[in-house]
Amino acid sequence: MSGEAKLIIQDLCHHYPDEYTGESVHALEGINLQVYENEFVAIVGPSGCGKTTLLNIVAGLLPYREGRAMVDGNEIHGPGPDRGVVFQEHAILPWRSVARNIGHGLELQRVPKEETRRRVQEYIDLVGLSGFEDRYPHELSGGMKQRVAVARTLCADPVIMLMDEPFAAVDAQTRITLQDELNRIVMATRKTILFITHSVEEAAFLGDRCIVFSRRPGQIKTEIKIDIPREERVWKDMADNPKFTEARDKILRLVRQEVTSDDEH
Amino acid sequence: MTAITEFSVAIQKRVGRKRLLKAWKFLMGTVPFLFIIGMWELNTHFGWFPPIEIPPLSDVWGAIFFLQTDCPGFVAAMQQHNECNLTNNIMSSVGRVILAGFVGIPLGIAFGILAGMNRTISGYLEPIGIFMNSVSGIAWIPLAIVWFGVGWETTLFIMLNTIFWLIFFNTMMGVRAVPKVLVQGVQTMGGSYFDTIKHVFLPGAMPSIITGMRMSLGFGWRALIAAEMIGGDSGLGFMIFVSAVEFKTEEVFLGVILISLIYLISDRYLLVPLEKWTIERWGLVWKPT
Ligand SMILES: Nc1ncnc2c1ncn2[C@@H]1O[C@H](COP(=O)(O)OP(=O)(O)OP(=O)(O)O)[C@@H](O)[C@H]1O
Ligand SMILES: [Mg+2]
Repeated sequence: MSGEAKLIIQDLCHHYPDEYTGESVHALEGINLQVYENEFVAIVGPSGCGKTTLLNIVAGLLPYREGRAMVDGNEIHGPGPDRGVVFQEHAILPWRSVARNIGHGLELQRVPKEETRRRVQEYIDLVGLSGFEDRYPHELSGGMKQRVAVARTLCADPVIMLMDEPFAAVDAQTRITLQDELNRIVMATRKTILFITHSVEEAAFLGDRCIVFSRRPGQIKTEIKIDIPREERVWKDMADNPKFTEARDKILRLVRQEVTSDDEH
Repeated sequence: MTAITEFSVAIQKRVGRKRLLKAWKFLMGTVPFLFIIGMWELNTHFGWFPPIEIPPLSDVWGAIFFLQTDCPGFVAAMQQHNECNLTNNIMSSVGRVILAGFVGIPLGIAFGILAGMNRTISGYLEPIGIFMNSVSGIAWIPLAIVWFGVGWETTLFIMLNTIFWLIFFNTMMGVRAVPKVLVQGVQTMGGSYFDTIKHVFLPGAMPSIITGMRMSLGFGWRALIAAEMIGGDSGLGFMIFVSAVEFKTEEVFLGVILISLIYLISDRYLLVPLEKWTIERWGLVWKPT
């Protein structure tokens, strides 16, 4: 990947203190990772390996002590609008209409009303929610709520977008649609994205690069480049795309190894 | 089809089933009231209880005019002219409820939000909140009389004391129930501490705050009436008490009916619309269909 590194993580470790036993949980160990401009990096790994921990540290929601983490050259201290997060659960606000949820980031950044309105409309169209501007989240399906969440994050125009299993809570059919859509959105916006998933297929389908994590304490095991042009990434063509199936099988093997070595303990 | 079912279907088509069901529900609610009024009229007719214990309905109606006999008119009543007995007492009670609400509700919400967000603050305030809530509002009346004497200060204190702690507690609980991820979402979009209060904690606690308002209106109104009886010098509670001492039972009945009516109206036309505009619109409450 050309371009400059938007996210730089150096020798990052993390321990959670355990209030009850007094021991600590070793969640991350020696993470070194760079995400370049316009790059889509997918992280896969067994459950409990520390993926969310890493994302929360980058988001600034979890303080860290060992190692460094920088976005756009600035050391991370607390959350900020340069890092947009799409959470797994629906994090959009029930008391705001679709349009007001999507424009929330701009409102918080005191962007003038007229510009906010224009950009909100742009992203509503992008995620295909035209006509739902004035609806409230409880009137939407799960898939639509996640579209709002994605649009909300994009609309605030962060340097990097962080996504933690954003499509895990929707049904399989909707998930495929949302993945296709995300792909289209990535093409249109050229956003830099760090994407966490437990689905190997999802990682292979969406990522320019896929990082495989080891079991806890999470370490980077391997990284795999997935050299499929964005335009070719459409689910209906994936079954006979050798590059996709190859990458997917490779990632699957690596993840399996981690899970089975777990059994041997 | 018989004529009756034909008629019924015709009406349902014209008026709409939903409206009819609503009207039916309303009618069901009036049945117990009609029963009581019927028994009341029968009592008047047969004289089971003497008028000094249960006065005729017409006397209660007449009491309205008797109490307002020397009132020069509507404008004078609004200006709380000395002779406008009934309206003065109504305005006195309602005014105190409004005043106590305007002071107690925002204060309760403010402290409740702080305590809900901050463990240290709630550590200080929660125990005393439980203590204050357990000592019911009216138990403070004797002490309030010692402190403030008989008059509006005592009644206002009783109201405020009741309202504040109820709102405080409900708000605190509501804030604690707000999902963390909503707060994090606003923080990651660059929201400040104040933004999280305004955009997340306050609306998120709304269902609980409205419950608190419901309880405040109920308990506060009752506490006010009690406080007016013992430690007040005006208001509907005061009026009931004085009338009972003078054996003007019809005025007592009138006062009780007015108290219930005012409560009913403020619930219907203040809290219900507030609910509709906030938590129902946001889908935060279960809506009966
Ligand atoms: N707040 C916490 N306090 C203590 N331990 C924690 C905390 N959060 C996570 N952990 C532990 O840290 C490890 C990594 O958790 P994390 O949530 O990052 O895993 P994950 O890779 O996101 O898993 P999943 O795929 O199931 O979401 C887990 O073993 C978990 O038990
Ligand atoms: Mg996770």
